[in-house]
Amino acid sequence: MLDAFRPNRVVSKGTTGLIVVFWLAVVVLVWSLSPWKSLPTLGDVYRALGKLWWQQGLGPEIGSTMKLIGHATLLTVVISLGLAYLTVIPFFRALVEGISKLRFLGLTGLVFPFTLLTGGGYSLKVALLTFGMTTFYVTSMAQVVAEIPRSELDHMRVLGASELRILWEVVIRGTLDKALDLLRQNVAMGWAMITMVEGISRAEGGMGAMILNENKHFLLAEVYAILIVILILGLAVDYAMGVLNNAVCPHARLGRVER
Amino acid sequence: MSEEAKVSAGDVLLDVSGIKLKLGDNQVLNGVTFQIIDRVREGKTTGQVVGMLGPSGVGKTRLLRIIASLDSPDAGKVRGHKGSILQAGTVGVVFQDYPLLKHHTVQANLEIAGKIAGMSPTVARKRADELLATFKLSDRGGHYPAQLSGGQRQRVAIAQQIVQPRQLLLMDEPFSGLDPAALEDVTKLVSEVANLHELNTILIVTHDIRAAMIVSDTMHLLGRDKKDDKVVPGAKIQGTYDLVERGLAWHEDVAELREFAQLEKEIKGRFRNL
Repeated sequence: MLDAFRPNRVVSKGTTGLIVVFWLAVVVLVWSLSPWKSLPTLGDVYRALGKLWWQQGLGPEIGSTMKLIGHATLLTVVISLGLAYLTVIPFFRALVEGISKLRFLGLTGLVFPFTLLTGGGYSLKVALLTFGMTTFYVTSMAQVVAEIPRSELDHMRVLGASELRILWEVVIRGTLDKALDLLRQNVAMGWAMITMVEGISRAEGGMGAMILNENKHFLLAEVYAILIVILILGLAVDYAMGVLNNAVCPHARLGRVER
Repeated sequence: MSEEAKVSAGDVLLDVSGIKLKLGDNQVLNGVTFQIIDRVREGKTTGQVVGMLGPSGVGKTRLLRIIASLDSPDAGKVRGHKGSILQAGTVGVVFQDYPLLKHHTVQANLEIAGKIAGMSPTVARKRADELLATFKLSDRGGHYPAQLSGGQRQRVAIAQQIVQPRQLLLMDEPFSGLDPAALEDVTKLVSEVANLHELNTILIVTHDIRAAMIVSDTMHLLGRDKKDDKVVPGAKIQGTYDLVERGLAWHEDVAELREFAQLEKEIKGRFRNL
């Protein structure tokens, strides 16, 4: 247990659990004792959550948000991985490099051109979210592909593998664990963007639209309740992706060094 | 490891002639020429083990890559048995860091090598099983490369290279960073692999003089010339030692012989000036 307070030590899962519980208790305590009037009480938030669920249709809004993030993630994976794997061909590297630079464009400025392109509504939201995630995901994945050691490619060449086989075994399957790990981070980024994107076009609902509506009426307990739901769902999605990575790439865990 | 090609004692198994390579302004290799000749030991199956000795940075690995057809030289040529042209995939290479497909188990790593060579999945599995048994790795078939020790990884890397029939296996610094016990295991392993078939030829690139002497039947020294105490750029073969002729090959405990120690001292002396 003392190792929890010493630098660079490894602690057991049980100790880690205790540490998490301790910090959660600290957060709850600070919140309960908070003198800030703008912070609703835990009881208020709990009651607001019930109201949101039973009277305002929080469930369908969650479904709407999940559909949006799922759709955008699917498109992001297809576009980003396709582009990243294309970088094995020198001709496409400049194109991918250019696309990755688009991450410096702010989403807000893109709303207007994207509205013209998509016609607005759900398509606009999917397009914005996909753009936001793709520009980052393609950057990270192109880097992963560029960093594949030459020895791994040569190893397959001396076995007599064709370049297509090398692409499949070394570039695609060999980096799948990293692709899933980076996707996990990018979905988290997408999740963080969701309220902004859903706020652009509120007609289709979603938690982002809901939170803005509650904001408008200054219903702070409801706002906090939705934020907590967003956080919990985000953590659940992140956990599920971690489980998926471990299931699909069991070798990836073996190389990790515990700290 | 070998195809059943017809060969007779004295046949040239590998012919490297006039290899030159310049990287930027640096002349790395400057006319490297040597041959590997088939030798037969009566009543025994004996493959060729050739040591390519040279100090670090002299261009040994570059030469190995050229022989494996992974890199092209600026000049010179490499030919296999009966003048055959070597292509990437026809020569086995065990790289220094023993790369394996980390997302596949040991068994799958060997099977993939077989499938690439055109074997059916059943034949590839059978061949993988045979090699796992030969290399005492049967209990490691289901393990991932990250779960293997350095020595096991090296054995898998060698086994993977000989899943498909090949005559020539190149090994890059197989003795580096090994403790004495592990070094003995590796030298035995190299001899065993070479002796699986008379045609098997292993070219070992190393700077470990003693280990190379124990395992080789011929050794070449790769190094640069010196003129007026100045190094002339570009390495070439500076000397060849036929250890069979000297009675320093093909028998146990060769390292205990006085002649072995004398030759080791002589090579060390030359090594310092390469």
